[in-house]
Amino acid sequence: MTAFTRKNADKPPVLVYEDVRKKYGGFTALDGVSLHVNAGEVVCLIGPSGSGKSTLLRCTNALETIDSGTVRFEGKPLPKADADIRKVRQRMGMVFQSFELFPHKTALENVAIGLTTVRKLPAQAAEERARALLAKVGLADKTANYPANLSGGQQQRVAIARALAMEPHVMLFDEPTSALDPETVGEVLNVMRDLAQEGMTMIVVTHEMSFARRVANWVVVFERGRLLEEGPPQQIFEAPTVERTRDFLSHLGWDD
Amino acid sequence: MNLDWSIVWQSRGLLLEGALVTILLTALTMAIAVPGGIVLALMRGSRFKPVALFATGFVELFRNLPLLLLVYWAFYVMPVLTDLSLSPFTTGLTALCLNVSAYNSETFRSGINSIRKGQTEAGLAIGMSRAQVFRQIILPQAWRRVLPILASTWVSLFKDTSLVSVIAVGELAHTAMQIRSQSFRVLEMLTAMGAIYWLMGYPQAKLTDWIHRKYGARE
Ligand SMILES: Nc1ncnc2c1ncn2[C@@H]1O[C@H](COP(=O)(O)OP(=O)(O)OP(=O)(O)O)[C@@H](O)[C@H]1O
Ligand SMILES: [Mg+2]
Repeated sequence: MTAFTRKNADKPPVLVYEDVRKKYGGFTALDGVSLHVNAGEVVCLIGPSGSGKSTLLRCTNALETIDSGTVRFEGKPLPKADADIRKVRQRMGMVFQSFELFPHKTALENVAIGLTTVRKLPAQAAEERARALLAKVGLADKTANYPANLSGGQQQRVAIARALAMEPHVMLFDEPTSALDPETVGEVLNVMRDLAQEGMTMIVVTHEMSFARRVANWVVVFERGRLLEEGPPQQIFEAPTVERTRDFLSHLGWDD
Repeated sequence: MNLDWSIVWQSRGLLLEGALVTILLTALTMAIAVPGGIVLALMRGSRFKPVALFATGFVELFRNLPLLLLVYWAFYVMPVLTDLSLSPFTTGLTALCLNVSAYNSETFRSGINSIRKGQTEAGLAIGMSRAQVFRQIILPQAWRRVLPILASTWVSLFKDTSLVSVIAVGELAHTAMQIRSQSFRVLEMLTAMGAIYWLMGYPQAKLTDWIHRKYGARE
């Protein structure tokens, strides 16, 4: 087997997880996770339901606190003080399974709100930037729509634009297409693929194995709060070294 | 029984004044008790325990005491406790505010809690502070959900202001009762009072129904 070199392996990683542990009451959601993500990499997290994938993402931008271990972002452990955490969060875009657009705001306002309230940009400048981002995700004609008047796929693209507005250094996607009708999944995945091609560093929790296979640079398989296996997609999908990975993939109907 | 309705027309100036005081009491009470309710709801959710405990105590006390008792209490006991001597109007207003703030705080609390946690997280995730998330994301959404309940509260309050007549606040009920005892025209004055309350209350109730239809039971 030829040695595989990860993308930007010679540069400092964007994110490093060291022995991260997280419990909910007596339940261990993350059981010593060590992992890193290099600049410009698309890392897909896959694994059975309840294995801790969302928890890892939520610990990354401090929506959850970890019990022990370290999460390092651009070399520094996640800060404790609220104001510092907010700075870090601006550098990490997050996209939720259920979109979580703000229903009382138009698509444009959803994208602009971070720029006006957090960045304190003048309304005019924020609006221009928001317009450009909506155009980028293919929604130039939907700026005035409220979320209720957008399809799921359109809502999720607005949510991606909202995250991109803060000029993040890394994007965290938590099953971005799981709540979508099959016919709109593709439009969201295309936006994500374009982002990846522009060099955005991305962590993507997904059940879309074809996306993981085609777009990911690195695939991480989770089980019960631990890493079962990690490697380039060719390895994970064609020659998994761990038996349980094979079981998981064949369970999803992925055995070729 | 001989009725003499002319007393009503003769007293129109006084009755109008009383009606205006009733409206003023209702509006002022809501103007104070809506922000008051929001503040109390926030205090109850505070991570700082003494604050949360104080707010819970306040709400549970004033929400569960009869309003009439509160009115008497504000009139007889509060001046002794606080060394303040307030006019009957301000005393009545205080009693109403204590009760309605406590009531509104529960309204806002359920409204705020009905907004999905994901909305807060989406706000936090773009770097907003908790205060910004509350003001810009949670409150505007909760507001639409509680508006029908606030409207119903307003309609009950409008009628309940009559309770402060017992401490001689010159609102509609007290004014009508005064005229009654001076003129002995009991039936006429009670009827007039009822008619005025109803004529003012009915449009408010209809407006409330409309608000319920427009904002109620909707995502
Ligand atoms: N706030 C919480 N309180 C208690 N338990 C929680 C909480 N959040 C998550 N868990 C538990 O932690 C475990 C891991 O959850 P997590 O959401 O990270 O799984 P997941 O891998 O994202 O699963 P899925 O594919 O279903 O989204 C689950 O068993 C879940 O029930
Ligand atoms: Mg999940």
